[in-house]
Amino acid sequence: MGFLSRLASLFGFKKNEANILVVGLDNSGKSTILNFLKQGDKNVPVDTVPTIGLNVEKMKAANIEITAFDMSGQGRYRPLWEQYYKECQGIIFVVDSSDKLRVVVARDELERMMKHPDLERRNVPVLFFANKMDKRDAVSSVKVSTLMGLNEVIHNKNWHIVASNAINGDGIDEGITWLADVMKSNMATKK
Amino acid sequence: MSTVDLAKQPVQENKSEPKPSKWLDAYHDPVASLYTFTQCITLSDIQADGDWKLIIADLGSGSTNMKLKVYKGTDLISENTIIDLPTGVVTFYMDTHEPRTPAIAVASGPFIYIYKNLRPYFKFTLPPLEVNSMEEDLWNQVKEGRINVYVLREMLEGMRTDGTTLTVRSLRYLQLTDAGDMIQFCEVYKNSPLKRQTVITSLNTLKKSMSEDDAISCLVLGTEDKSIYVLDPEAFTVLATMNLPSVPVFLSVTGMFDVEYRIVVACRNGCIYTLKRGVEDISKNCIELSSQIVGMERLNKTIYVACMDQTLKCFTSKGKKMWTVKLPKSITTIEVVDYKPRGFKAILVALSSAEVHVYKEKYLVDIIKTDDIVTAMRFGRFGREDGTLVMCTSSGGLLIKILKRSASFEEKDMSGGPPASQNVKLNVPKKTKLFVDQALRERENGVTMHRTFQRDLYLLRLNTARQYAKALSNSMNPISTDPSEPLKLSAQIQGIGPTFKLTVNLQNTSLSQASTKLHITFDYDDKLYNFRRTYIPVPMLVPGLNYAFETYIECLNDKGVSDTVKVYVLRENKSVPIITGVISMPVSETLVVV
Repeated sequence: MGFLSRLASLFGFKKNEANILVVGLDNSGKSTILNFLKQGDKNVPVDTVPTIGLNVEKMKAANIEITAFDMSGQGRYRPLWEQYYKECQGIIFVVDSSDKLRVVVARDELERMMKHPDLERRNVPVLFFANKMDKRDAVSSVKVSTLMGLNEVIHNKNWHIVASNAINGDGIDEGITWLADVMKSNMATKK
Repeated sequence: MSTVDLAKQPVQENKSEPKPSKWLDAYHDPVASLYTFTQCITLSDIQADGDWKLIIADLGSGSTNMKLKVYKGTDLISENTIIDLPTGVVTFYMDTHEPRTPAIAVASGPFIYIYKNLRPYFKFTLPPLEVNSMEEDLWNQVKEGRINVYVLREMLEGMRTDGTTLTVRSLRYLQLTDAGDMIQFCEVYKNSPLKRQTVITSLNTLKKSMSEDDAISCLVLGTEDKSIYVLDPEAFTVLATMNLPSVPVFLSVTGMFDVEYRIVVACRNGCIYTLKRGVEDISKNCIELSSQIVGMERLNKTIYVACMDQTLKCFTSKGKKMWTVKLPKSITTIEVVDYKPRGFKAILVALSSAEVHVYKEKYLVDIIKTDDIVTAMRFGRFGREDGTLVMCTSSGGLLIKILKRSASFEEKDMSGGPPASQNVKLNVPKKTKLFVDQALRERENGVTMHRTFQRDLYLLRLNTARQYAKALSNSMNPISTDPSEPLKLSAQIQGIGPTFKLTVNLQNTSLSQASTKLHITFDYDDKLYNFRRTYIPVPMLVPGLNYAFETYIECLNDKGVSDTVKVYVLRENKSVPIITGVISMPVSETLVVV
């Protein structure tokens, strides 16, 4: 075991550490979700401003030290996402369930991401948050999954969709636990 | 200037494999029952929440069910009934209050309805126009009962034929034919004062004194009485009035009212006028078009005009024509694309073939196919997406497309023009010394060379003419020049030798006159040839028919020598032949004795 963990550290990650990439369109709630994760239960709602470039957050979930790259979702920063595809072990894709008009844009970005050479052949788990469930005109997570065409777009990866509300934290923990478990089992199979 | 005719040259892209679309289909509702035009759609952040709304003035059936509809995303959030047919919708900032919510202005009849926070806020009425004194007098007389309805009708009819602009009341009255209706109409309306009002045809905004996106704007309106009004946004007073030679239909405005502005007006007479601050004479800056205008847009300093003759024309702001593109079908509407995040500027042209063509400059860069004919479209920010195209179709459908992030519009000329290979340089060899010397000589002695050439040319012509004259005088030619003996001769030689067959064809080319007493004889070297028949009597030649006469010729020489043989057509008692044919004999093959 000691030899293996040393071997693992040679390859750039320690036993219980993982990088995750948080992507999604602008105003879908990526930073709010990460804020919630960082603060845990003592959640104080803060006004979130649109992210410029990216933010890096560190946190611990399900016994894993997670480094989260909170990417900006604005159109002009989206080309930045692909720079981080190589070194991530998990992806969180946040979708605004109340913005039916732009689901198609989110789908386009997802398709592009899945076709990227850095991700195409790797088995990286993708977690979808159907966010903003508190909104009156939000659609269900099942509907989001069909609108995004997740079954057609993702072929060789584990994925999971969770309905969430980043303001009060509904569904966030459930999703993160799933992602951490999959990443943990992925690491175990690598050793 | 160049003209590209797409009607004659089908777009080549159809042949190649279909490319992935540059647009994402965000929403499609074929039964949204929205009937509108481009002027009646706008996109604006009317709640100042960063989520831009779609504002549509729905024309309904054209007389009923006219509504101002506001969409947030795909959901209808507000509906306000409009009393009269809307002719334009714009949003503008009318105050400096926080939060910065713009007001919606809807032009309808002689009124402008202002909505703030999705509620009716103010109604502006255009100043009434002067009523023709005679018309007013007539209605007064009706009121006092001095003339009856028939006289009124006759008088009004006369005024209309004289070209007087009548009030709406008089025009409506003239439409009535039934006497009962006319009396009733007069009874109802004769006591109310007569007013003449105009109708707003087009609506736009003009920044007042600041150029920021959320600066206060004036309203600019074009009216049916051939005027342009500029309205103050706070007090709703008329700041400026400008008169035009025709009725304005499309407006394009830039600049600021207090500083410098430019209003480009497309009029119903097919002319485009440019109004500037402080310039009175508008006829100077006038673009005359050959056809009626169906749409006008401006991108920076170029004006794009869509015409009824299926053309898209481009002009500079000074009125110089740059190019014309002929489209395959008639144009329903045009819209400008100014997509700043990508610096993409283009013109969208909706056609009656249910297609939207995207033109970058004069190059067709994309075609969007739709289920139905697009009658209204608007490109801009909608929701939180910058590159959104909203389209309404003639059957009331609503289509929303979003420009893909990866979309790139190549400026490829898909419509003819010189091929690219024309620009490839040819491998021309270097100039030799001989070429240079020759060129130098030609340059120095050009005049002499030309004269020498001319003299030789004349000599040649003279020689030719002489020979011809000689041939004519000797009747050496195969066609008779004598009008009394119109004959045509042709002869041919068959065989390889030493025996040849000579066929002489004679034809009388006159229409009615037969030729008689003709003979054929030959002139040849008797050392070389031996003719089996040296004399052939010719029977009467019926006009038009071809007569063939044959004889055999033997070549007596086996040295490969040949000579010419002459055929004479002679008339009795005349020594000069009528026509002569000269046959050059082929070289005879030597007789091989087996």
